[in-house]
Amino acid sequence: LMAAPMEGTPVRIGAAPPYGHVIVNERWRGSAIVQGFQGKLKAIFEEGLGLVDFHLSDHSCVLYVSESGLVAGNGYRRKLFQFRKASKLHGIIVVEKTRLSEQYFPAVQKFVVFELGLTLLPVASQSEASQLIAQLVHDESKEESRNPFLRKKAAKLCEPVVLALVQQIPGVGRVKALALLRHFPSIHQLSNATAQQLEAAVGAAAAQSVRGFFHTSLAPPR
Amino acid sequence: GQGARPPLSQPVCVLADSRGIAGGPEVLSCLRLRHGVTAQVCSLGACDFIVSNRMAVERQTLSEISSSVNRGRLAERVRALQGSFDRVCLIVEKDRTKPGEVSRVFQRSRYYDSTLAALIRAGTRLLFSSGPEDTAALLAELARVEQRKSNAIAVPTEVKGQRHQALQFYLTLPGVSYIAALNMCHRFSSVWHLVNSAVEELAAGACVSRPRAEEIFRCLRYAFHPDLL
Repeated sequence: LMAAPMEGTPVRIGAAPPYGHVIVNERWRGSAIVQGFQGKLKAIFEEGLGLVDFHLSDHSCVLYVSESGLVAGNGYRRKLFQFRKASKLHGIIVVEKTRLSEQYFPAVQKFVVFELGLTLLPVASQSEASQLIAQLVHDESKEESRNPFLRKKAAKLCEPVVLALVQQIPGVGRVKALALLRHFPSIHQLSNATAQQLEAAVGAAAAQSVRGFFHTSLAPPR
Repeated sequence: GQGARPPLSQPVCVLADSRGIAGGPEVLSCLRLRHGVTAQVCSLGACDFIVSNRMAVERQTLSEISSSVNRGRLAERVRALQGSFDRVCLIVEKDRTKPGEVSRVFQRSRYYDSTLAALIRAGTRLLFSSGPEDTAALLAELARVEQRKSNAIAVPTEVKGQRHQALQFYLTLPGVSYIAALNMCHRFSSVWHLVNSAVEELAAGACVSRPRAEEIFRCLRYAFHPDLL
């Protein structure tokens, strides 16, 4: 069954607000959300955005599900599903979770996050949504390197890791580990050393421990 | 529709960190009793829960996540998780109220919003929970979704004797999570076998992505230079 036909395209691709601006669907003109942007964010109103309510950047946007939309039933589902099918934009679904609508929240979360794979953020009111959207826009313009949750890709030295690995072998402390690595500089070479080679490096007892560690059968071969 | 759903034959498995038990015993009992999940307590260290071969879940209360005092620790933990898991999920749980205490109204701050924005930008998935029971339901659902995508935890979670020594060795490898190390313990016939495996074998055996397997491979072949220590 086909979904009811929409006017124009469901999503306008490539809407890119300039710095400090947000592109707002015409239907939000005069709303509490837009009033809340005052002093934080400049709104650019546009028609023909389709299902999208706010464009934060050229790759992310907000779709808003109101308290009444949530209470009314499953109409919002078709809208979000259509959006998911129509675009690869990062969709952030902002949903009004109030005392009246909170009983419907688990179902929305399940649908949005688990079924559609989109992001869901609850707000208690339009003024909270306003704050949140302003913050999301602000964050979009920040450099990635300033995000505390992003892992920095720094070239790390492998020496401490390799030394720690050798010290995981029973009976091998720091001194023996360094002696072993002087003769067999990689874990791969160490694992392939013969009993005689190992004995010459660290003596019979440690040599046996190293051989045993690498060659003990751990799992039934499949 | 309902008919397309695969049969609920395989029970799903979730690993829980042993330190997190004090914070939420109801989550574990709820996972086991209500959702039929095999919940195993392990010393995960870096995260609260592991729900699949590639996904870690961190549980934070609403007050923890909205307090700036906590940010350094949270940021460090999320970065560490991204270092060894392809997917990181954060469950934001509503604070419990003590008996007789009136439920406080959550004052949403700009700080809280900026934390959410930064977490989303860092690729973290966010889920919101109303309490321990809800958290258990979300964990069970995450594990089931991951199972449908063929990423379910499918090895025994108990490690004894020689395998325990191998586990500690594997956990020392870069980018290796507790579940990847468990997979290594059960899917390679010896430590020698793993060390001498090709990148493809490493990826398949440990159930990790190719870039992670390449990182492990490089480390195993890396020529140690004492002057660089």
